[in-house]
Amino acid sequence: MSYQTYRLWKALVVIIVAVLVGWATPAGYAWVPLPAAAAAVVIMLLIRRGVKEVVVDERIYDIARRAARMAFQAGVLAMALVGATLLALSYGDYPHLETAGFTMVYTAAGLLVIYLISYACYSRKLGGKE
Amino acid sequence: MPRARIGNCIRRLRFERGEMTQEELAARAGCTRQTIIALEQGKYVPSIELAFKIARTFGVTLEEVFQYEA
Repeated sequence: MSYQTYRLWKALVVIIVAVLVGWATPAGYAWVPLPAAAAAVVIMLLIRRGVKEVVVDERIYDIARRAARMAFQAGVLAMALVGATLLALSYGDYPHLETAGFTMVYTAAGLLVIYLISYACYSRKLGGKE
Repeated sequence: MPRARIGNCIRRLRFERGEMTQEELAARAGCTRQTIIALEQGKYVPSIELAFKIARTFGVTLEEVFQYEA
């Protein structure tokens, strides 16, 4: 199978899963997305096996790493700022915003904790100790 | 501190070897054709491992493919 065919199959699987989830959830079949996503992962793995060309290489991982870093930084910053704003507003005329504010601030803090733990693990794995 | 740049002559080496295609080089070096394109355009600097694989594919030394321009 060529890389182009693989990409076509990949797009098809994504569309089918999206349609399935989009239909199932409002229709009351809330359990459908989980098996649908699992089936999609299995199908993608099977399809990828049939590709003779290299599909993923170091450049792809580099791009993904940079994108993830940017998404993390922007996401945490936005969540912290919006959360702090909501909390500040909740102490004034909008007390109902308190829960949302705390949720966002704690989520940002949680992500930072995960980042620090991951950083420590990778730092140990990849050396760097004096 | 000035930014260092890694240049390469992959394109020339491909043509010197019977107009080897980007697909062929990618397959032999174990990367995607898009990576070869990015390397030739100077948009991407490969890892040491991929650099060695490319040099080995051409049967030359690392410095004959990649040049360090500080």
